[in-house]
Amino acid sequence: MIGVGKMKQYTNVLDRPLSKGKQEVSLSAFAFLFSELVQYNQTQVDNIAELERRLEDAGYAVGARVLELLCHREKGNRRETRLLGILSFVHSTVWKVLFGKVADSLEKGTEHEDEYMISEKELLVNRFISIPKDMGTFNCGAFVAGIVRGVLDNAGFPAVVTAHFVPVEGQQRPRTTILIKFAEEVLRREARLG
Amino acid sequence: MIVCVAVVGHQNNPLYIQSFTEADDALKLHHIVHCSLDVVDERVNNPKKSGPTLNETFLGMLYPTENYKVYGYLTNTKVKFILVTTDLDVRDADVRNFFRRFHAAYVDAVSNPFHVPGKKITSRVFADRVSNIVKSFGFSPTG
Repeated sequence: MIGVGKMKQYTNVLDRPLSKGKQEVSLSAFAFLFSELVQYNQTQVDNIAELERRLEDAGYAVGARVLELLCHREKGNRRETRLLGILSFVHSTVWKVLFGKVADSLEKGTEHEDEYMISEKELLVNRFISIPKDMGTFNCGAFVAGIVRGVLDNAGFPAVVTAHFVPVEGQQRPRTTILIKFAEEVLRREARLG
Repeated sequence: MIVCVAVVGHQNNPLYIQSFTEADDALKLHHIVHCSLDVVDERVNNPKKSGPTLNETFLGMLYPTENYKVYGYLTNTKVKFILVTTDLDVRDADVRNFFRRFHAAYVDAVSNPFHVPGKKITSRVFADRVSNIVKSFGFSPTG
């Protein structure tokens, strides 16, 4: 992912200051790798739901590691215990490290108390992908949804995260929204914390 | 003298325990680490002061027992690092520094795509780095 590539030189890494790793990974290299990931999973499964689940699982592993890494790199590390805290952490810090920019918007869902949405005009992973008509509502953003789920789960906020296309007038390509639905216990804990 | 370091997962499952003296009973060390987990939980659930120290990662000295002192450190993912030492005059800054480097080694070990989260850390590189950190603990300029 852009901004995270870090080449290690094995000459006593312990003594080096903890730098942010300015080296970047090329977008095309990542796009090829991701397309290969999708193709490989496509040959292994029979239906779309399974493909989506596999991409999400792959993202989950990434999310868990990204959380550890980011919390270590940030100076003045604080453990997030509040919902808004962890959401803004995902929305800005995680997105910045993975995609080089903060997410476009973070909204609270209107129908349900436990739903939040992070939207993005064009997800980086979807940039070179077009979904064939017969795949219906499948979205390769399931990978990013998995990453978000990995981060939230390991930080102590279990949630169900999915990616959806939201058509917008005036644009050919629909906007992508990551829908986060928190588990019951998170809301109860949040209410208790006041 | 550092006696032992331990990494405990977020469900209080042990991920890595390494002792650095042959003299002491491994079982006793396991027991000390286990008891210190209770203290960690207590500190996490009842913060002594609110405000800037509410979500600190470094928990400080957990409790002194016979001739050992136990220090704790909590990461963002509720993974705990426990340090058991016999030094009497260990400085706070030293311990913080130790935990910082230990955290770096831990993050690198977990970033391994073949590492299954929740299982024990089996990386030899991690074990080597930890021994290096332990050896250089206490050899700081004024320590």
